[in-house]
Amino acid sequence: MKSQARKLAVAVVAGCVSIAALTLLHGRRGRRGDTRRRAHKLRVERGLTALRLVARGGARYASNAPRLFASAGEHRQQLRNDLALQTAEDVATTLGTMKGVLMKLGQMASYVDDGLTPAARRTLSRLQDSVPPMSPELAARVVTEELGLPPEQAFATWDPVPIAAASIGQVHRAITLDGRAVAVKVQYPGIAETIEADLGNVALLRRMLKITAPSQDVDGLLAELRERITEELDYRAEARNQQLFARYYQGHPTIYVPEIVEELSTRRLVTSDLADGARFAELASWSQAERDLAAETIYRFVFRSLYEMHAFNGDPHPGNYLFGGGGRVTFLDFGLVKHFTDDELRPLVEMVKHLCVENDPSSFRRAMVEAGFLMPDTPLPTDMIVEHMALFYDTVRERGSRTMTGEYAAAVSRRFFDFRSPLAAYAAIPRSYVILQRINLGLFALLGELSATADWRCIAEEIWPFVQAPPCTPMGAAEASWLASRRDLAQAHRAVR
Amino acid sequence: MTAEPYAAASGLVERSAAAYVSSVPGQPQDDGFFGPASVTWRITSDLSAPVAGLRSLLMQALHPLAMAGVDQHSDWRLDPVGRLAATSAYEATVTYGDRASATRVAQRVRAIHTRVRGVDTVTGQPYAAEDPALLLWVHAALVDSALAASTLFGTPLAGADADAYVGEMTIAAELLGVPHEIIPASVAELGRYFADVRPELRCTAAAAESMGYLLDPPGMDSGIAELWQDIRDAAIATLPDWAREMYGYPAPAPVTAERRTEIRQALGVLDAVFLAEPGVLEARQRLALRMRSAGSKAG
Repeated sequence: MKSQARKLAVAVVAGCVSIAALTLLHGRRGRRGDTRRRAHKLRVERGLTALRLVARGGARYASNAPRLFASAGEHRQQLRNDLALQTAEDVATTLGTMKGVLMKLGQMASYVDDGLTPAARRTLSRLQDSVPPMSPELAARVVTEELGLPPEQAFATWDPVPIAAASIGQVHRAITLDGRAVAVKVQYPGIAETIEADLGNVALLRRMLKITAPSQDVDGLLAELRERITEELDYRAEARNQQLFARYYQGHPTIYVPEIVEELSTRRLVTSDLADGARFAELASWSQAERDLAAETIYRFVFRSLYEMHAFNGDPHPGNYLFGGGGRVTFLDFGLVKHFTDDELRPLVEMVKHLCVENDPSSFRRAMVEAGFLMPDTPLPTDMIVEHMALFYDTVRERGSRTMTGEYAAAVSRRFFDFRSPLAAYAAIPRSYVILQRINLGLFALLGELSATADWRCIAEEIWPFVQAPPCTPMGAAEASWLASRRDLAQAHRAVR
Repeated sequence: MTAEPYAAASGLVERSAAAYVSSVPGQPQDDGFFGPASVTWRITSDLSAPVAGLRSLLMQALHPLAMAGVDQHSDWRLDPVGRLAATSAYEATVTYGDRASATRVAQRVRAIHTRVRGVDTVTGQPYAAEDPALLLWVHAALVDSALAASTLFGTPLAGADADAYVGEMTIAAELLGVPHEIIPASVAELGRYFADVRPELRCTAAAAESMGYLLDPPGMDSGIAELWQDIRDAAIATLPDWAREMYGYPAPAPVTAERRTEIRQALGVLDAVFLAEPGVLEARQRLALRMRSAGSKAG
């Protein structure tokens, strides 16, 4: 059994294209065996799409580090399969006694950037390097516990060697019984129990945070850390969110969200379509025009999700994108999605409208108070408040082409963490909006790194629900026809009912 | 500058880490005196090791002649952190180094020991660091502390493994010149040794002062200082009652399951900090690979 798994592992490593060949074989078998025509057709189509994806991916695996599906904040350079965790006790030793919690804190470091001491940053990033993957046997055990079948039976093909580290788990490639090429994220066994116990030691956590991030609001950070970890421990929430995004963006000209395979997703497993593309680091070597298009897609994704779906994917992190050229971007990792109620979103919309469209400072201030960003009786003049806040809206206050820069992102980040400004005593970030700081800190940093140029205001006007301007870029035009076809589809559905 | 009796304890983690990294060989000529399948390697890499280290010093200091040797001869007061780092480098080389390296560092220590002799001002007794009785005391305190710390705060050894550890470690005492016949080779023998030696032990002024420094070192980096409080409480909790009473430390609260978890969490954070020092992760991985391959050969 063990040696068989090892042989298979060797085969996969040795011939990275072999999994594509396996898909092909499997696809044939599926075609012969299936008698129900419609299901048959769907499967073949799926199988073919999968095959194309895998075939492209297969060639790439040969030359690239196995990081295609890396998720938020992962820095592990390579998976140390030679040091793989063999048992749940190994997991507890490696990730227990606060280490798993510290690792998550390290991943959060991407948006508490200015708050961390250099020593803390080094500690946290080193910790991520220190976690080896699960052994094939241990990962298989988790799959068996979750699906009731060992992976070789639950899937047509199971690659026992993980291709990437993921959030408190690792990613395996597989082909489902009906021929879909998928990425399966498997959670470390026992990690939930371990981390929950460690989160209980609030005194130590608070001390640690005080040391690692002295300039931060420790209790806010602690609350955020707990919330984030608790969410991530149950992969079902992630699967639900990813499926929501996948459905919403189905057929979108440039945005692709891999679909979840629901019957193969559980508390400790997320199975989704396998995707492929260039990583962020590669994008840096592409032409500026390509980078601008990729940036436009990411920008549209963030704000359309916020204003239309009332949802925000909290991880604008380079590891969560795959780039396909022509602005096509695959969005991965929906481990942290915030859904906004209408009441939560309204003041945000009002703020943008009053500041950027109606140029009405006192209404802007009122909306800030309504949202809870500003204390009602703040004894500061409105123009001072507007002056402070305007930086966050800088890219959308006026029309015209603008280039995002690292300097702008850094200025936004500095302003965000400026606890010495006179406004700081009267300003707050209500819990439900904490996640949005990642727009300021994550998205702008990302676009800055791409030196992306666009008329951001113009794109925003397309998306802002109170403007809904006609398309102003080719991508906008393509998106408009996608929106129109969605409406037609919805109408057709209603008519059928 | 010399008005302060002790130098500040800053850099403890950095210097211990550097000592550790330099002691874990990259390309050893052999598996050394213990080897990757040994219980000694396992217990030395246990999470409880810092507690074991501190407890071991607390125990060792209770022998007036051993304490006098440290107090009168070493640079302990001027550079306590350096002295601790040197000690951990020595222990790590003997444990993980190949036979040639372990023998070399042991011989160096023995050469130093020949010069460490004098008269203890408290008892009026003459002492010599190469006296096998003193070396045995230091050895026994270390072995006993590793067992006590891992039992309470680490991964406790099964009975046979505890005996194996005490047996394996006899070679460490021999390297420093202790005759094989007098070294306890099992847990029971170790217990008898402590019963025999206890009348000689007491807390001298030098011991109280040194340990007072160790338990609350001034100038320690702020983050580490907070964690150190937990390590200190843990080390005191593992002391035998008679040792704690000699120091006059109040009886610690019983170690509940909850308290044990808290201590382990503090140890985990300390370990994460240690792990971030240059080369530590790589050194650990070198050892883990060797232990793994030895384990699979055995299994």
